[in-house]
Amino acid sequence: MKRKLNHLFAFLKKPQNLILLFFVVTLGYLVLFPLVCIIRDTFIVHASEVMRVKGSKIGDFTTYHWIKVFADKNSATIFYTPLFNTMKIALGACIVSISFGGSFAWLVTRTDMRWKGLLTKLFMFPYIMPSWTLALAWMNFFKNSTVGGAQGIFTALTGIVTPNWFAYGGFPITLVIGLHYAPFAYILIGGILRNMDANLEEAAVILKTSRARMFMKITIPMVMPAVLSTFILVFSSAMSAFAVPQFLGLPVRYYVLTTQMFRNLNGTNPGYGYIIALVMIAIALIIMFINQAVIGKRKSYTTVTGKSANISTFKLKGFRTPISTIFLVLVLCVSVIPMISFLLQSLIKIQGNYSPSNFTLDFWIGEAGASNELNDKAGILINKDVWKGLFNSLKLSAVASLGAGTFGFLAGYAIVKQRGTFLSRFVENLTFIPYLIPSMAFSVIYLSMFAVRHGPIPALYGSFALLAIIGTVKYLPMASRSGVNSMLQLSHEIEEAAMIVGVPWWKRMTQIIVPIQKSTVISGYLLPFISSMRELSLYVLLVTPANKVLTTILFQYNEKGWDQYANAINFVIIVFVLVINFGIEKLTGASIEKGVGG
Amino acid sequence: MPVIRLVNVTKKFGSFVAVDHLNMTIQDGDFVSLLGPSGCGKTTTLRMIAGLETPTEGEIYIDDTLVFSDEKGINLSPDKRNVGFLFQNYALWPHMTVYKNIAFGLENLKWSKADIEKRVEELLKTLQIEEFRGRYPAELSGGQQQRVAIARTLATNPSILLMDEPLSNLDAKLRNGMRAELKRLHATSNSTFVYVTHDQSEAMTLSTRVCLMERGLLQQYCPPLELYGEPTNLFVADFMGNPTMNFVDVKARSTNDGIELTCPSMNLLFTPLEAVEIDESEDYVLGLRPEAVLIQDDGQIEGTVISSLPSGMETTLSIEVKDVRLSSVVFGNIDFAMDSKVNLTFKGNTYILFNKRTRNKVAMGSLTIK
Repeated sequence: MKRKLNHLFAFLKKPQNLILLFFVVTLGYLVLFPLVCIIRDTFIVHASEVMRVKGSKIGDFTTYHWIKVFADKNSATIFYTPLFNTMKIALGACIVSISFGGSFAWLVTRTDMRWKGLLTKLFMFPYIMPSWTLALAWMNFFKNSTVGGAQGIFTALTGIVTPNWFAYGGFPITLVIGLHYAPFAYILIGGILRNMDANLEEAAVILKTSRARMFMKITIPMVMPAVLSTFILVFSSAMSAFAVPQFLGLPVRYYVLTTQMFRNLNGTNPGYGYIIALVMIAIALIIMFINQAVIGKRKSYTTVTGKSANISTFKLKGFRTPISTIFLVLVLCVSVIPMISFLLQSLIKIQGNYSPSNFTLDFWIGEAGASNELNDKAGILINKDVWKGLFNSLKLSAVASLGAGTFGFLAGYAIVKQRGTFLSRFVENLTFIPYLIPSMAFSVIYLSMFAVRHGPIPALYGSFALLAIIGTVKYLPMASRSGVNSMLQLSHEIEEAAMIVGVPWWKRMTQIIVPIQKSTVISGYLLPFISSMRELSLYVLLVTPANKVLTTILFQYNEKGWDQYANAINFVIIVFVLVINFGIEKLTGASIEKGVGG
Repeated sequence: MPVIRLVNVTKKFGSFVAVDHLNMTIQDGDFVSLLGPSGCGKTTTLRMIAGLETPTEGEIYIDDTLVFSDEKGINLSPDKRNVGFLFQNYALWPHMTVYKNIAFGLENLKWSKADIEKRVEELLKTLQIEEFRGRYPAELSGGQQQRVAIARTLATNPSILLMDEPLSNLDAKLRNGMRAELKRLHATSNSTFVYVTHDQSEAMTLSTRVCLMERGLLQQYCPPLELYGEPTNLFVADFMGNPTMNFVDVKARSTNDGIELTCPSMNLLFTPLEAVEIDESEDYVLGLRPEAVLIQDDGQIEGTVISSLPSGMETTLSIEVKDVRLSSVVFGNIDFAMDSKVNLTFKGNTYILFNKRTRNKVAMGSLTIK
């Protein structure tokens, strides 16, 4: 007995164990409990469903939802078609991003393409910008008057009316998501191409292998692991994308799992929504296992040898200028041109008319009640609501990133310190779960979990604290993953050298570990901050008029068809995110690229 | 007065036993090497002494103070054990200058600024790194980093210095230089050194005592030359020495003259230093150090040279006698032609008979050829 007590005492004396215990308790409540709630909610009758489930009371056990979603004559519309659409889009997006990002990576690392510096910087834009940016830009250009109300820039310029399949639905969603995640492919594949030991290719050259054969037989197999990781990353991201299918799919009633879930949760069938959420979690889990099974084993052969000083570059010769120009145009199309379109759209009075007389600054600085007749609102720069939204966005992002970054780093530290123990593995998995739960489902659960008081935890619905908590938890995986990875690089000896001379824990953290891991710590804050600034699906259900954030204002304006305002706000968000990102990158050297895959 | 005493110390990682009931006493002023192949528990032992690792069972005393006892629930933290620890990868703090690296521990002990300055200057001077005081670890070579690490460890004047393979990251030439310096340091500092290494020549040349371990078990704990000359079992005999000891499988039979050893290639008479009992049903192994396999023109056993590796100071030969292959070291600057015939003989009483089943030493003695 005494011995057991001694062991317990020794266990609690280690700060890393206390940290792990802290996470077991808090994440148990904030992550595991919600998961249980989702499952429970698929089996009970919700308030809005009492009429349809005959003879039931609220909270009764029922299998109604499961039957309706999977085995009913309407299941096709409720579930199977959106599932099929999701799969189609996710696969298509993978193909788009791997071919575009992969070829760009090869051109940048292995050829003498021009303007590499500028191109790579611009290429990252779509990833830094909110995911719906390209979707809105697509609409600005290609919408048609049949569905979109007014014609887009493309029709205005050429007179060609875009068909519905081109302007809305699966095709543009796939393309837009694919382009948004193309930077993943560039970073992951480019990373390998850049660090690949030149000897591998030189050995082939010595053996008189032709360039084409060498590319097929050596270069491609070498980057295969990276292609696979890109595939998995893009697939799972595309699957949980909400804003893009919402903007581009809704006008033609094209639903994917996320938008279908939103419709159900927000409407009268929350039970369906929870089941869809579960399906999405299940798919995400399967992908994660495939990832570990396939990539885990092969990782070793992508190992960087570090002796890659002299990679021979492939001479494009006569194609140099044409290829460089084509890529410059493509990259501009996904980076600068969308921004121009937002600016442009926010400056015209009557939509679809691009003649100079139609331009106005009303939507930016016009007073309420002035010439702006669509809807009588003040221009966004003098609109109190918008300013408040911006302030809320900044406040929320700052709090969520501080929370996620700090807790994530501490989790990473404790997980690595106790690596190999059950507790450490358990917490590592706990911190990863928020990544798997679709944002929308996560927020719905929080909505119901915090609607009423639970013991000492007060009802938080409508409060800023709830937004801050969900932001912190949702972005925890980003920071904890990078925390784990960087702590693994740091030998335990570094800390033990200080323990030997009796440096207390907090001092070891603040004076040794954190200064050494400075760049990880900063990216641990940067990544959640930027993600939160452009987050929509996580917050959209939880905001109340009192604490709207910029993105939800944008969403609301967009839904109401207040196009110019929406574009103006979007422009503001993008500028903000870009400025913050590059500012921090310049100041600290930490960059968003390093966080990919987390 | 014993400085460090380990009593029945056991460390388990899950079901894996890293250190198994280790009992060991390290005397004041000793330079003890913990030697063994990787995974034998030597680093774990060192870390348990330091307090960086918590034993599963047992007791550890330092200077007669109980610093760890599983039963009594005592576990002093590393800083209360007055030990210094030199890490394998130096563990210099990369964001601090050389000066700051050395001073940090002292600042933490609340030394006065002037005292810290004096102590650091003194160390910088002793270790000849004065000119690097303002540099960061990344700007130093491996050897310089090592010196900084030593200075940092010595800064607090620990009475016990624990070192975990401190020279393994240095190149061969630098390593030799640092070995000499460590030995000098030990002689001048009057502290007790405990040194982990997998390099037998390091253990042999530096220590006053060597503790050879395998799979968590102590194999032999004695002065280095004894470890080499009188190994208690086949593992120790095989581990120590380069080129390794020759092992010949033999059958043994007690006679009036001594013990008769037979193997397909030769018949030998083994005269043990002390009387032993031989069980004829057992298999035995005869161990011969290469330098005890002598090449002499009047040797009675003829062998064929398979390979000859001259290094200038000595030549290592591989010789085949019927189906047995023996290595032999010949001192001096000589080379032998391949496939040439040489004659072998034995002298002295460094030959060891082991029991093949128990792997333990049976007897030491001399050999004559029949």
